[in-house]
Amino acid sequence: MRRDPVLGQLALLDDVGPPRRGRAYPATGATWALLAPAALLLGGLLAWPVLRTVQASVTTDGRWVGAEHYRAALTSPGAGAAVGRTVLWALLVPTVVTVLGYLLAAASRRSQEGWLVRFILVVPTALPLVVTGVTFRLLYDPDPQRGPVTLLLAWLTGTPERVPHLLGPRLVTVAVMSAFVWAWVGLAVLVFRAALDTVPADLVDAVRAFGGSRRDVFWDAQWRPLMLRTVAVVFALVAVGTSRTFDLILVMTPGSVRDEASVLALRIWQTSGATTTGQGAALGVIWLVAVTAGMLVVSMFIRQAWPPPPPRAVPASAPPPRRLVRLLAAAAAVAWLLPLGVLAATSSQSPVRAATAAWWSGPPGLDSYRAVLGGTGLWRSLGFTLLLALVVTAVVLCVALLAAYPLAWLTGPPAQAVGLALLAAAVVPVQVVAGPINEVLGLALSSGTARGLALVHIALGIPFAVLVLRNAFADLPADQVRAARLGERHLWDTLRRLVRHHRTAVVAVAVLEFVQVWNDLVVGLLFSGPDAAPLGWFLAEQTRGFVTGSGTLAAGSVLASILPVLVFVLGRRQIVAGLVAGGVR
Amino acid sequence: MTAAGRLRRRTLLRSAVATTVAGAAGCARGPRPVQVAVVWSGAELTRFREVVAGFPDVRVIGVGNDIDAFLTARMLAGTSPDVAILPRPGLIVEYARRGWLDRVAPASSYLAPAGMADLLTVDGHRYGLWIKAAHKSLFWHFPSMLAEPPRTWDALVETTRRLGARHRAGEGPAPLAVGAADGWVLTDWFENVLADIARPGGYEALARGEADWQGPPVRDALDRLAELWSIDGAFPGGGQRALLTQFEESVIQVAHHRSAVMVFEADFVDGVAARFRRGTEPLVTFRFPGSRVADQPLVVGGDAAVAFTGSAAGVELVRWLSDAAAFRPWLEAGGYLSPNLVVPVNNYRDPLRRRLAAEFRAVEALRYDLSDRLPGTFTGTDGVGIWRIMQDFFMDVTDGVAAREAVRRATGQLAEAARAAGSGR
Repeated sequence: MRRDPVLGQLALLDDVGPPRRGRAYPATGATWALLAPAALLLGGLLAWPVLRTVQASVTTDGRWVGAEHYRAALTSPGAGAAVGRTVLWALLVPTVVTVLGYLLAAASRRSQEGWLVRFILVVPTALPLVVTGVTFRLLYDPDPQRGPVTLLLAWLTGTPERVPHLLGPRLVTVAVMSAFVWAWVGLAVLVFRAALDTVPADLVDAVRAFGGSRRDVFWDAQWRPLMLRTVAVVFALVAVGTSRTFDLILVMTPGSVRDEASVLALRIWQTSGATTTGQGAALGVIWLVAVTAGMLVVSMFIRQAWPPPPPRAVPASAPPPRRLVRLLAAAAAVAWLLPLGVLAATSSQSPVRAATAAWWSGPPGLDSYRAVLGGTGLWRSLGFTLLLALVVTAVVLCVALLAAYPLAWLTGPPAQAVGLALLAAAVVPVQVVAGPINEVLGLALSSGTARGLALVHIALGIPFAVLVLRNAFADLPADQVRAARLGERHLWDTLRRLVRHHRTAVVAVAVLEFVQVWNDLVVGLLFSGPDAAPLGWFLAEQTRGFVTGSGTLAAGSVLASILPVLVFVLGRRQIVAGLVAGGVR
Repeated sequence: MTAAGRLRRRTLLRSAVATTVAGAAGCARGPRPVQVAVVWSGAELTRFREVVAGFPDVRVIGVGNDIDAFLTARMLAGTSPDVAILPRPGLIVEYARRGWLDRVAPASSYLAPAGMADLLTVDGHRYGLWIKAAHKSLFWHFPSMLAEPPRTWDALVETTRRLGARHRAGEGPAPLAVGAADGWVLTDWFENVLADIARPGGYEALARGEADWQGPPVRDALDRLAELWSIDGAFPGGGQRALLTQFEESVIQVAHHRSAVMVFEADFVDGVAARFRRGTEPLVTFRFPGSRVADQPLVVGGDAAVAFTGSAAGVELVRWLSDAAAFRPWLEAGGYLSPNLVVPVNNYRDPLRRRLAAEFRAVEALRYDLSDRLPGTFTGTDGVGIWRIMQDFFMDVTDGVAAREAVRRATGQLAEAARAAGSGR
């Protein structure tokens, strides 16, 4: 599955105009040298595995079998349902997230408590999805003694024996979707807020001056000039992000209902594990084509929209939203806090109490924390994950900076082609190509090692980083480039100087990459080995005995979430500014 | 560009390439510890680490349930561990046929029971040695809640009916706790009933994929299960709730909440029960009831050690593990049952294991866990194979589907899964 390419889509879907190009071409030799590391990593760990997967989908032991695997894969029991569910996820969930995100961004603007509302909404975005899964499984626990939602339903329906279980076969997809929406709305709010802040106030004033209603303001001053693009971007982001449901399904669903919640990502993993077999490869190719085609459609749609006006500061005099709207935003914030409260409360029960009684019935204590910190497992995992995330972030930044520099000077069709290729690379779901990636890692004797794990993370992180940095470089005003070229005589110094002008973009990439690696489950699941037990994998392993381990699991989840939330919340301004700077112009 | 500039550019180029190549190629493998991949986690993993502390320089890797995916990937990548400990003889036979394993020879003090040893041989050669066993024919209960345990299947059904009726009236706990969210719990039920019903050769034929999954033994076994599972009020919270109950939670329902009277599962139930029991009364066991009281077949599970090709140290470690003395730390800590009949019964610290070990020696017919012997995806994991089929069956019979229809659907699915697994290789 692909990690969230986040706001960078703004940048990458939007070609930079010719006037700002062609200022300082690096020499051809240097260009290749700068591109080589990124090309090697992407070619070896993404492009080649994709080709191998395509080949595996039409052959058996090297013999051509045509569409046989496709037919078998699609007619096997449960496959149709999984495909349907994947499509449902990709259409329904982004719609809900987009609408909610817009409403909450609009409702929390220019009000005193707005920052707090947005702050609360953003926290779930930074949580590892494993933690989100643990949280919602606690919330929906089928035992009314432990699950507050089940207790509420039992109370509402009055028949504890006939309570509809949210984790039961009929509602499990709804349950997983609710967890996903909870986690992703914050991101949509961030993007919409950035977009709304760039809506020129004079345009709004003009519409008002001509007697326009609120609806006219929305339509003429927001929607047509800017929001259409933003909506498309958010929708596409979330649609690609729904491939991350893998983590949630794996953590949230007991084995008996896993099929009722299954999507393509899970099915491919179930049928092929870390290898590539015919049917798994066929499903993977179908998925790959669908994801890439979807992104292409959205990017064309975005290019046809109006060019947005330059961003401008919003005058402070603008009126805050109506009181009722503000109240709704506040209510949403409270609702968003509830799951976090359940997680914290469960972690404050002793392991035995957390498994046997309601978290609201006993006094809080630190026994679960003591239990989880007393063992070596969590410490080792935390340390390893921190090291992994730091190393991967550093390497991705270096490689991407080198590659982004020459790519920023490209113009016309080559620039578009590179953009599309990077875009496609950024959305490749890693389950699809896990088998061939393992073969490549095997050649380098690094399969199942920490080094192999880091290599995969690096390869997966580069496309997005290059896209963001390329757009940031391409946006640099001409005089700055000239100053850089004149002041420093060598390419290396020029590059260093340019980077200094783009601190926000660099910080944004660094923060996102760090959080990405820290929060990962699937790469760890597919590629970790003896000396590599990353945090997501460590926590997910413990969900096998969910109820007995819920106290220590909740405590471990809280500890695992502190750093990514801190980094994300502190860096959120930089993230938005850095990513959008390259994109909206 | 100046010469100096050119030089710096070249340096940059070279360092960039060098970095990438170094990162991709890695350094050559030096002398390293003997790697052992295991499915265990938690306390079991800790105990096993204590065991191998007696062998020089061993590194234990807890891989979790997806050990097949892990080993296959590592094999394809050429970085297999030296030794793996696998719960599935079916998998071991597959690996051996693909030429991934080295032959192993047991220590002189090693003797596995007849029903187990021959599962690990291919063409007369031995590719794995049993190092841990599980007794899978046990029911657990508090004596104070069930004074007279049922000794035959009919008595179990009768007891369940009686307690179920009382439970429906709100006057007592449900008769049975079952962790149906874990498919392996249901396959263990099925295997115990099947072992009782099928002719001696019939069970083995199903395991080898030679028998018909729609034939009488399978149908009769499912019929029996349907009779018991469909009893109204059999499970605390009903069938839907049972499907969301994991194995360990089902033990808690008996040991802590006392909301159910009996729970069926293997000897490792006592570990969970010890953590969550209230009061001082210990849980006691009775044998999974069959149609007759005497000489019932015993269903067992186990873990076997294998050595991957080209690792002399691996072969040596497997031999070492098969020695009767190797698992002494775990024996003394409790919670370990040895498949090695040479281990003296008196070496067991806990009375339960001592009794079970004696039963191992006394029993005439030993049946190895069927679902662990099935090939490919038929063997089951969460949402896949026989685990999934048994869960569907459980869902049907607890949801009011007629037994005949439920059995027809389940046998159809089983036959289909057997065919798919057979043609896939």
